[in-house]
Amino acid sequence: MKKIFYMIAICIVAVAGSSCSKLDNYPDPTETLTGSVIDAGTNKTLQTENGGGGTRIKLIEISWSDNPTPFYISSMQDGTFNYTKLFAGKNVISAEGAFVPLVQTDASGATIVDKSQTVDIKGTTNVNFSVDPFLRIEWIGEPVLNADGTITASFKFTRGTTDPNFQQDITDVHLFVNSNKFVGNNNFDNRYSPQIDYNGSDANAQVGQTITLTTKGGPLPTKREYFLRVGARTNYGLKYYNYTDVKTVTVP
Amino acid sequence: MKKITYTVLCFLVCWTTACKKLDVPPINIVQDKDVFTSPGGIQAYMARIYSELPIEDFRYSPQRGLNFFWIISPFSAVSGEALSRDQSSAMQENVDESPWGDCYKLIRDVNYFLENMPKYAATYTPAEVNSWMGEARFIRAATYFALVKRYGGVPIVDKVLQFPTSNVDDLNIARSSEEEVYDFIATDLDYAYANLSESNQVGRANKYVAAGFKSRAMLYAGSIAKYNQISLVDAGGKRVCGIPSTKAVTYFKAAYDAALLLENKYSLYKKAWAAGDKDAQYQNYVNLFFDETSPENIFVRQYHYPESVHGYDAYNVPRQLMGANGYSAEVNPTLNFVEMFDGIPKNADGTIKTTTAGKYDLYTNTVDLFANAEPRLRATVILPGDVFKGQSIEIRRGIYTGSSAGGISPLLPAGSTANYPTANIVQSSNASQTPYNLPGGGTMNPAGLSGVFTGDGTAAISGFSVRKLLVPDKPTSEVLENRSDQTWIEMRYAEVLLNRAEAAYELNALGQNDKPYLQDAFTATNQIRERAGATMLASAADLTSVNVIRIERRKELGFENKTWWDMRRWRVADKEQNSTIYRVLMPFYSANDKKYFFDARTDERNSRYTFDVRWYYEQIPNGEIQKSQKLIQNPGY
Repeated sequence: MKKIFYMIAICIVAVAGSSCSKLDNYPDPTETLTGSVIDAGTNKTLQTENGGGGTRIKLIEISWSDNPTPFYISSMQDGTFNYTKLFAGKNVISAEGAFVPLVQTDASGATIVDKSQTVDIKGTTNVNFSVDPFLRIEWIGEPVLNADGTITASFKFTRGTTDPNFQQDITDVHLFVNSNKFVGNNNFDNRYSPQIDYNGSDANAQVGQTITLTTKGGPLPTKREYFLRVGARTNYGLKYYNYTDVKTVTVP
Repeated sequence: MKKITYTVLCFLVCWTTACKKLDVPPINIVQDKDVFTSPGGIQAYMARIYSELPIEDFRYSPQRGLNFFWIISPFSAVSGEALSRDQSSAMQENVDESPWGDCYKLIRDVNYFLENMPKYAATYTPAEVNSWMGEARFIRAATYFALVKRYGGVPIVDKVLQFPTSNVDDLNIARSSEEEVYDFIATDLDYAYANLSESNQVGRANKYVAAGFKSRAMLYAGSIAKYNQISLVDAGGKRVCGIPSTKAVTYFKAAYDAALLLENKYSLYKKAWAAGDKDAQYQNYVNLFFDETSPENIFVRQYHYPESVHGYDAYNVPRQLMGANGYSAEVNPTLNFVEMFDGIPKNADGTIKTTTAGKYDLYTNTVDLFANAEPRLRATVILPGDVFKGQSIEIRRGIYTGSSAGGISPLLPAGSTANYPTANIVQSSNASQTPYNLPGGGTMNPAGLSGVFTGDGTAAISGFSVRKLLVPDKPTSEVLENRSDQTWIEMRYAEVLLNRAEAAYELNALGQNDKPYLQDAFTATNQIRERAGATMLASAADLTSVNVIRIERRKELGFENKTWWDMRRWRVADKEQNSTIYRVLMPFYSANDKKYFFDARTDERNSRYTFDVRWYYEQIPNGEIQKSQKLIQNPGY
């Protein structure tokens, strides 16, 4: 009797288990989208930060709907992006970040500029965007380790666009310091990172001038590397930061 | 044969009873006719929709949303008014507790009322019906305001959506522009003002409540038109985030005009106030929040133990008055907040003055530093050494045991975020303290009874504790969670005056001169200052910038869950909170001097606040976005 009971139980489990192996008839997403957001003025990729506060690529897949929910891909810190798990399909692709918007509307809501690209994503698709950053920030010389254990860096920022609609007041500039190479507004050691906050249009006189910042909070702990980057932003929209590339300073 | 007769008879009996119609409304469910045909039914309907009105009261925190009992990461610790051990950074409201869905449920209930009330109008006088219709429109407006201040333009639903009788695609409604939503709110509130009665039950709206809310909503709209930098335009060309700057004048005028409607209907609470008497002014300001007959209360939400309760006292009493649940001092006002007030010694840059010529100033008692403080400050914040519930609230960071010859130099360099040096300082990590033997006899605990402790955050971590809204005579045995029932004042006349002053100032700044706006802003601001016991403005010329009025607003409405919204609509939150550490004031006792000195420094936890610019338009819950392709997300999410 017991044997029969077990037989039935095993059969039920076996049947139930095998019924779960339903085959999804749609293949995995395997297409790749790669590319860069490039500063039109310097032809270099536009530096940004990782995560939600940095450049992101907006995909609107129009192969099945006119009005889909957008899909976003975050850019890497150096301004390139690479996403390998997309479905094949027709996409309208644009980018959002610290640069003159690729899609602009006028006061009545009509689209006046649209530099988004309509692309069939299949295999490995490369898409580049040429943009005008709000600010172009450049190092002046190399950051220097001072005798008192702090680091001093010099830099300047200039306007990346001549369009006065995108030359809002510069609100703040930071020297971001971090102990790993991912450094930016979302990831920095706030004990040592100095910043300048500007009031109103005060910073406009600083455009093109050499600005020097020294790390705060006393001497930096020794026997390690520090990764430095300057970020600045203007009072436009979501106030994305523009960045320099990352410099490394070794504190012996 | 007889059997057949019985069978037929039986059949016939059954037949007749079967004629009773079975299709009757279920008698155990309340029907529209039960609700709408009696004033009691309507009151019950109103009671429920009022209870769901989305206002940030005693039961709100940004982490846990509306109407939740546990308030340990208080709103004021997000806006920078206070520090709390359970909140150490800026945040937007927790998107998982978003009021989006509940607001639309409430809007549906109101729309249902608006559609069905007229069917039963014959039962009542037209005045009654109009007043209820106005009341419902007020609630709908207040609910849309809760949505628009968070998300910008939202879908406007002004009728009961029928499902499943309608096509689902018709039920997906796109977002209206932010401007349209504010205009919709204004229309509802105008209707409410025109139709509501002059007075109503406590906790329900009358026509002036509608006007007060209009002044608030229109001020928000005007501020956004003037200060917002963010834009989001949908595929159809609607600007769902942002308002054209040309509309600023229209909205500020609407705010100003609405505020005028309350003049002489409400007044500032001055029952215990006396000119020149700081103690009376202080007591008056404390009483303001507890006098149920206050002429200043415009719109309130009442609580009553045991059926409708909150825990404000339990979470926020000073450490030495802690109740049995073990909570205390969740709201510790920052020095940044305290420094806005008058009557405390200040440096040229407006910060508190604690040193002279590089040496600490010494005081016999901690409260002496605040001897001339503005009465409103004392009534809002428990200052170190001030009296609460008959006890002197003892706040002391530690005992300085170093030499005092020639004065005491600052413990840390200016602006330092380092820990205090341990040499020459005795401190306590928690409330079980080891008394320190003072030179010349006697002992003293290193820290005060209400802190500050180095390892226990249930103390006054900023050097201050909150007083506003704490019941001044509640016995400690009743200082428990879910045991408080003081009334929440959602709108009081002081706010309306400040709305009026701000709108008037902005209108003047925008070049409007059809009325003496600047003079009116000056008069309104001075009314607030006079009641508060603050320094009066000498003339309208003293309104040198909008910040004078904004600071007045922040002082007057501090800890009333309004400031964060103000920082957002002024678009200053991201400037104020940009890797910011808030400041604290630490009282020390110098053992050799037998006197106190104060050290102003940054928060010892080094909690940095950074407001993400995206938060000016909060994230719409992704679940809502997925329900409708017409609903577009706010920028940056």
